[in-house]
Amino acid sequence: MIKLPILLDIYQRGEGPLKRVERISLPETGDYAIGRLPENQIVLDAPEVSKHHAWLLVREDGIAIADRGSTNRTFIGDAEIDRSAWDGALPVRIAQFEIHLVAQTAAGAVKSSGTQAQATRALSGSAGTSAQPSAPRGQSIEVALNAPGAPDEIRFPRNIFSESIVSADALKAGPYFAGECTYLSVGAGLGSFVWADHLRIFGVPKKDIRAIGDDVIPYANYQRLCRNSQIPPHERLRSNSISTPDNIWGFPGYASRETWRDLKEFRFSGLKHIFQVFGEASLAQSFTPRSGDVFRSIDSEAKRIGWREMYVSGRVLGIRKTNDERYAVAYRISEEQARGGVRERVMIGKYLHIATGYPATRFTGDLQAFKARFPEEARVFNAYENHEAVYRTIEQNPRAATVVVRGRGIVASRIIQRLYEARRKNRSITIVHQMRTPVGRNEGHRYKRAQRYVYNHIENQAFNWPKACWGGEILREVERATPEERAKIYEAIGGTTTADRRDWRNIIQIGIGGGWYRPVFGDFETLELVKTDQGPKIEMRLRARGNESAAEVVADFVIDCTGLIGDIMHSPCLRDLAETYNLPRNPSVSGDKTGGIGVTPDYEISALRNGTGRAYAAGQITLGGPQPAVDSFLGLQYAALRSADHLAVLGAPNISLFGPLRSFSQWIKWCTNLAP
Amino acid sequence: MLPTLKGRWLTRILLFFWIGLPVTLVFSIYIATPESPVLPLIGWNYDTLPFQILFLLLIVGLLLDPVYIHFQQYRWERDWPFAFQFFFSIVEFLIVLALVWRGALDFTRSPLDLHTPENYLLFAVHFACVFIPSFLALLGFIQIFMIRWRFKGGEWGRM
Ligand SMILES: Cc1cc2nc3c(=O)[nH]c(=O)nc-3n(C[C@H](O)[C@H](O)[C@H](O)COP(=O)(O)OP(=O)(O)OC[C@H]3O[C@@H](n4cnc5c(N)ncnc54)[C@H](O)[C@@H]3O)c2cc1C
Repeated sequence: MIKLPILLDIYQRGEGPLKRVERISLPETGDYAIGRLPENQIVLDAPEVSKHHAWLLVREDGIAIADRGSTNRTFIGDAEIDRSAWDGALPVRIAQFEIHLVAQTAAGAVKSSGTQAQATRALSGSAGTSAQPSAPRGQSIEVALNAPGAPDEIRFPRNIFSESIVSADALKAGPYFAGECTYLSVGAGLGSFVWADHLRIFGVPKKDIRAIGDDVIPYANYQRLCRNSQIPPHERLRSNSISTPDNIWGFPGYASRETWRDLKEFRFSGLKHIFQVFGEASLAQSFTPRSGDVFRSIDSEAKRIGWREMYVSGRVLGIRKTNDERYAVAYRISEEQARGGVRERVMIGKYLHIATGYPATRFTGDLQAFKARFPEEARVFNAYENHEAVYRTIEQNPRAATVVVRGRGIVASRIIQRLYEARRKNRSITIVHQMRTPVGRNEGHRYKRAQRYVYNHIENQAFNWPKACWGGEILREVERATPEERAKIYEAIGGTTTADRRDWRNIIQIGIGGGWYRPVFGDFETLELVKTDQGPKIEMRLRARGNESAAEVVADFVIDCTGLIGDIMHSPCLRDLAETYNLPRNPSVSGDKTGGIGVTPDYEISALRNGTGRAYAAGQITLGGPQPAVDSFLGLQYAALRSADHLAVLGAPNISLFGPLRSFSQWIKWCTNLAP
Repeated sequence: MLPTLKGRWLTRILLFFWIGLPVTLVFSIYIATPESPVLPLIGWNYDTLPFQILFLLLIVGLLLDPVYIHFQQYRWERDWPFAFQFFFSIVEFLIVLALVWRGALDFTRSPLDLHTPENYLLFAVHFACVFIPSFLALLGFIQIFMIRWRFKGGEWGRM
């Protein structure tokens, strides 16, 4: 049961901390529209918010949020939602706004005489301030309900996808039909790109391939994650020379291309890249390409294969088998693109490919709760969010600052390196590195005869998995194992870790010596905001496993580097797919409750087989399956190759078996930049 | 490429046929004939000695592969850096030389003919001619023709 009126605080994120822009009060149950246009009851005035963005559904028994097919979507905490109950524990996020449910007992809010019109005006005023005099801070504006009744548009695609097998003829005769093709990929990120690249080179013409996704640039999502986690274009990535999403052969690799470029400009130091490849990982540190170089190479390959002509802009909402052995994909395009027309579309494809990447950003519970309690304090960040404010603050203020870095993955290493760089500007920055448990020198994971090496309580390997996961013995062992054996192998290998980089190890050594780096072990029991003479700080009680007493840690910022969520249930579209067809799931790997979607070694989702129609998947959503390193350039390339080969053997149209001669002639075309 | 045992064997055999045999053929016709350093093709005058060396190299390699694989098991990455490949190729050649020295090929001709300094120099030149292109092939040229090879631990064929 909810208590009326409902009080909501609306915060806006600008540079720096969240600012509260409004408190509003919802006096009765009903459906409240949220959006950019003034006709909504709750107006969020920013270009990133769609005209009609979402519904807030207030019922006797609880509150729910439903996205109305917005371009930038609606989130509860970090989970993207389609329609979901909302208990207020986590804020609703829409573009740069956060809507917090004010504790239901705090009902003492002053009711202004404001009408709906005033409320909306107050919110649509200039960004970041509540300019409306009738709505001073801390007071509430009452929002009246004027649009009752079940909103229509939230039903798509349920209105056409109510059955698990839908009629293709009915879809084609219906208002949403947008076309059909032979090869249809969902996601249009790097996984889709690499798949389309293989198909094109194997002989499929552009007109037979479509890829539906949010951004025409295949690496857009990846680049955003890289930028936020402190990998700007000149920084090096985390994969090797032959992980080449722009080149299916892996030759020439990025190392020789970089050397060649250097030599052309008489920079002989470029030869070191070749030596790195020659000696890695034992005699030299592994070569990794610059992110800018990788992006440029993908741009050029995208042009060569005609990616723009294959790309379809849209957000996929649902997938169904059709009664003519194909697949229907329902998606929605942005308001701008629809130009006032129908935004809901359905495309039908014979061979489906799903590569939607990470379903969500992980935010560990304690930090999430802190954020929800103190939304105006920009102190706790996920490393994958934009957290430049942290570096700006600590670099510009010469005061002592402590940053807690949580986790020991590759992102944590990079963040520590970034803080080390910040120390050049501010010598009194200290790092507290929080890890669950200590790991001794000889306590690294063991798989068969080998043991992973440990430095400074951090397990190290050349990349984020043992190298033989990308080809060679471990890949073969995992591929051939039964699901139960696989679970054991994954347990033994022990998930992803940071990369073995000398500079990263040295930074920690220097930090320990200099007293500005300190590892701590355990979980934070409490996070409190305390006021000190140096401003507000976060006070945490840290309890180590099996330890009675708790230690106190006081810090200015916490950066959570524990990763992204792989659980497909965080994606509304995949969740619907998994539930409709009862898709089998892989055993869990590295922390998530369940693994990804079960696929065969050919990356087919066999549970989705539809007569002669076939569905494939790639990337993080297949974690825990026949290949450990699914979420990597080379892993995506391998998955694409396997599924393209599988399609070729099936006799799918225009796909060749890709023997040595065709391979060679296509490689020559790649080298001379001719279309495949 | 991160080799498996079968992959090592198959890659070795592949390189033997693709690079080893053709290079040795050319080498034995033009250079390694007893009479003249550069002999005209007329009469197909060639020396079988380079072929015998190549064969020995193949056999020594095939026998050592299980040993390499065994050591690979102790490496967490289960990889085999190019530098190791390079180093052990030379070790294999030295083993072949030692075998010849100890009389492994004495049954083919008179030891007086065989164990001359010129012959040993020729062995080394021949080895370099076979080894350098083979190593470059491993570095990536094989992939141009066989795109699945690198994922299959060096095995050929389809997935
Ligand atoms: C910070 C970071 C660094 C990494 N560095 C490396 C590296 O150096 N080397 C390496 O090999 N790997 C690296 N990886 C791993 C991996 O290569 C990348 O994550 C890669 O982008 C995965 O490709 P993908 O296609 O699976 O996902 P993405 O590239 O993220 O593509 C998925 C796309 O699907 C879209 N999408 C999702 N749901 C829907 C929907 N319902 N409808 C329409 N579109 C949808 C998304 O918007 C996105 O654009 C890194 C990963 C991260 C996070």
